[in-house]
Amino acid sequence: MPDMAATGGPIKLIRWLVAPGDTVRRGQVVAEIETDKAVTEVESTADGKIDRLLLEEGESAEAGTPIAAMEDNS
Amino acid sequence: MIRSYEKERLLGLYRRMVLIREFEERVRFLFLEGTMPGTIHQCQGQEATAVGVCAALRDDDFIVSTFRGHGHALAKGLSPQSMLDELFGASTGCCRGKGGSMHMGDMSRGMIPAIAIVAGGIPLAAGMALAFKMRQSGEIAVAFFGDGAVAEGAFHEAVNMAAIWNLPALFVCENNLYGASTHISKVMKNTKISDRAASYGFRGETVDGNDVLAVLEATERAAAECRRGEGPVLLELLTYRRVGHSRRDPCHYQPKSEREAWFSRDPIERFAEYLVQGGYATAETLKQIRSEIDGELTTCIEAAKAAPQPTAEQLLEDVFA
Repeated sequence: MPDMAATGGPIKLIRWLVAPGDTVRRGQVVAEIETDKAVTEVESTADGKIDRLLLEEGESAEAGTPIAAMEDNS
Repeated sequence: MIRSYEKERLLGLYRRMVLIREFEERVRFLFLEGTMPGTIHQCQGQEATAVGVCAALRDDDFIVSTFRGHGHALAKGLSPQSMLDELFGASTGCCRGKGGSMHMGDMSRGMIPAIAIVAGGIPLAAGMALAFKMRQSGEIAVAFFGDGAVAEGAFHEAVNMAAIWNLPALFVCENNLYGASTHISKVMKNTKISDRAASYGFRGETVDGNDVLAVLEATERAAAECRRGEGPVLLELLTYRRVGHSRRDPCHYQPKSEREAWFSRDPIERFAEYLVQGGYATAETLKQIRSEIDGELTTCIEAAKAAPQPTAEQLLEDVFA
């Protein structure tokens, strides 16, 4: 979870835009999150294949928490 | 683009613009990963303004930058290593880890640490230009600022003072259409910012800020005027930022059609096309340049992560004048 909230505190995952098995590129939008201020987008920080999602839609997590795992063979 | 240029000089401009773009992209992902602390204001899309202006300056000329200053710093000759070290708060950074993203600078490279207050650097440039004039040193001072700064009192005070004393000051407005999220049409009736120079009695010019050679040539003309005692000059460079105002800004206020129109005039892609069509470089040469920069930045980032942090004993060093 990127630190996109100016106020700290948990950030809510609104919607996943990818599913396990999807191949993503660095910079690709993979999810929408909601901070105190706005709904914004999360970009993948690496190229690779999504292995599993670690956070459900509607759940919240602190900045820095892993929200998805990627396969290591990219 | 009717002037002829040395091939090496042109490739140098390309290299510097790619360095800025890639530096900013690397930093963006370091922030998203949570590896790098703090906040950032980035300049992807505005590389031609920084590179075009600084390529027309002498090493001993000074620039004054803003909170969006990474591009200016790289264009004026600060090393990516000293800047990445600074971003990681390391004592080997250009401000010994005490400045961070918004205060990049290096006096030995002709860049005072950037001023993060909107328009705050403009009076400093006027003051430096006054010093240069009094010393008859032949140097000029260049203030970079955004369209939002034009509405600040500091802009008026500084440009007026520079005008009445004919100071060797070059005022460079990077007009990227938005002051944070507010479109310029909502805050000014006459959105042609260069027109303002006339009301102070000096010359202003609007330039395609996504054309690095147009910026370079306009700056060379303006700098020559300043050195002849015919300054100041106001350059308005029309450009566009491809990313949000700051790290947490999703940039939703930029309409899709507007973004696409500007992206099709990307300064780096346009210049790459010019280089290839003009026979200055092959696509392969340009790819090689990008790959070299990529490798250089990877090395710099690894070194910056391992660079020493300032100690508690150093807390008060370099903080007070």
